[in-house]
Amino acid sequence: MSETLSYLLMAWTTPELMLLTALGTFAGIYIGAIPGLSVTMAVSILVSFTFAWDVNDALALIVGIFIGGVYGGSRSAILLNIPGAPSSISTAFDGYPLAKLGEAGRAIGLSTVMSVIGGLVGVIVLACAAPVIGDLALKFAPRDYFLIAAIGLLLVGSLAAGSLAKGIFAASLGAVIGLVGMDPVTAQGRFTLGQVELMGGIHYVVVMIGLFGVAEAFYQLHNLDVAPVRQKVDKIIPSIAMVLKYLPLSIRTSVIGVLVGALPGVGGDIAALMAYDHAKRTVKNPSRPFGEGAYEGLVAPETANSSAVGGAYVPMLTLGIPGDAVTAVIIGALVIHGLNPGPMLMVESPHIFWFTVGNLALANIFLLIFGLMGIRLFAKMVEMPKAVLIPLILVLCVVGSYSINSSMTEVYWMLGFGLLGYFLKAYGFQVGPVILGVILGPMMDTSYRQAMASVGDSPVELVKELLTNPLSLLLTLGIVLILLSKTPLMGLIKKRKTAHG
Amino acid sequence: MEQTESLAEHHETRAETPKKRVGEVAFSVLLLLFSAAVLIAAYQIAGFTSISSPGAFPLGVGLVLLLSSGKILLELRHKRASDEPSWAGSCKRFCAEHFPLRNVILILLAVLYLAAIQWATFYVATFVFLLLAITFLRKGRPVSALLISALSVGLIYLMFTLAFSVYLP
Repeated sequence: MSETLSYLLMAWTTPELMLLTALGTFAGIYIGAIPGLSVTMAVSILVSFTFAWDVNDALALIVGIFIGGVYGGSRSAILLNIPGAPSSISTAFDGYPLAKLGEAGRAIGLSTVMSVIGGLVGVIVLACAAPVIGDLALKFAPRDYFLIAAIGLLLVGSLAAGSLAKGIFAASLGAVIGLVGMDPVTAQGRFTLGQVELMGGIHYVVVMIGLFGVAEAFYQLHNLDVAPVRQKVDKIIPSIAMVLKYLPLSIRTSVIGVLVGALPGVGGDIAALMAYDHAKRTVKNPSRPFGEGAYEGLVAPETANSSAVGGAYVPMLTLGIPGDAVTAVIIGALVIHGLNPGPMLMVESPHIFWFTVGNLALANIFLLIFGLMGIRLFAKMVEMPKAVLIPLILVLCVVGSYSINSSMTEVYWMLGFGLLGYFLKAYGFQVGPVILGVILGPMMDTSYRQAMASVGDSPVELVKELLTNPLSLLLTLGIVLILLSKTPLMGLIKKRKTAHG
Repeated sequence: MEQTESLAEHHETRAETPKKRVGEVAFSVLLLLFSAAVLIAAYQIAGFTSISSPGAFPLGVGLVLLLSSGKILLELRHKRASDEPSWAGSCKRFCAEHFPLRNVILILLAVLYLAAIQWATFYVATFVFLLLAITFLRKGRPVSALLISALSVGLIYLMFTLAFSVYLP
């Protein structure tokens, strides 16, 4: 118990870790706020820079950036009507009207406090749920891992984009990239095109930097001339009465956020949209009509996207399955540092889990401090011209990808993935599912082969197990439901329901 | 940000039938061909020897790729044709939309920068790249670009060599 407590408080009691968490949170707020810079981009590049660091130091900085970045997106959503991150799209619905009404300061203050409440709810749920799920996960069979990973890819494919086919294509493309190289069981080359250089595989950090860094930088060239609009920011700290008034809603939407965030592959963006929808349906007398500056419309998405961070850590730490694109990158960071995210993490390295919980809570406290100050500096940073930012991002991408193996080959791959990502984005594909595919593809391959080996390569036996084991049956039904929900059949059922209702 | 676009696109599909983007059919055909190539490459790993062979899962993924890229191509049937009737006009609009001169020049600069790192050393190449790219994107103001580039290279040295202990190219 005392050992657990010491790990939990490690980030709070070690000055170096505290400083790195603070630095990460501070930087994260600005990275999240600057449209064109994303948390995933920052974490991808950072993972390659922190190879040589102690694992705790690296994680402290990454956690800070994650927490700060998710919140930072709300700043530009409120002030500029441009969500700095996908998770703050719904923040702009009521945040920007509030700014136009001259309440930008109050909106920022309220969103800060609510983000912290959401974030802390997420941390509490992570601390309570993860050990239980971790214990359960030890009993999961390989086929269950395969099914959970498949659900993750299907969810990210179906929820994140308008077209399920595009989402599934992107995720499968990621899986193919993840499979390139030597098969870990038979040492046979796969998708190597006969090239010895490809036997080692394509490093996922290279793919991440290419897709999230270079592609985004090139894509932002289209918005080079968009001039930011300044808003007057005055009173920031919200009154206690105001916070208490919205506390019940914030707890409800935090729970939505953490649950949605914990679904494999689904992140804060969907959580925030669902929470906004929940607020719209349940709040009978909002402060103003939704979409015209309702505080409730700000509280709901801000709590949900922050609590989704804690939620996203649950499947990542207990099952090794990323909750969203950022946790996919963090899995990469853990593996680089010799850790094994998954059910064994709680057994082999429980200190990492409790350290992460304490660190997430600390980052939320720093968020409260930094969020309520530094507005003037913030306004200047957001106005940093893209003409300077884009070339700098490209240089950082080069440094990041070179540092992986000290080789220019990785840098060329990174540029190639950057151009691929640029085209994918241009034609309405999302790059998030590609990264999840890169991480989950090899895992699904291993689980599938283990599952098949356990039933003597008999598909009939496998189907029998899928139908008789309660967990496998539940997961199989989940997959069937997701697929059915995207077919015309579901549309017909909904139509009939509405007609009868 | 891309989420915003996809939501906007989703909204658009509800409101009216969206138009095909320039080059979308060609891109989708390329994806289909790529998927077929992946499927063939997956088959070459171990053929159909065993259901748990090293090639079994790649074959499945290849099949999913092929099916989804086929569906993407089919989905284009529901979109209205793009405004450009002629092939040359489409090509022109494709370049204007995806490769405006500014993007082409920056991509070329980036490629040249990568090539230059090998023979001109990282610091010199980075300095020149930043100077040229910032001056070009801002359409002038070379003196402040010079200062920004010098400061950035200095910061990169301090941060990566001293703080992060990263090997630079």
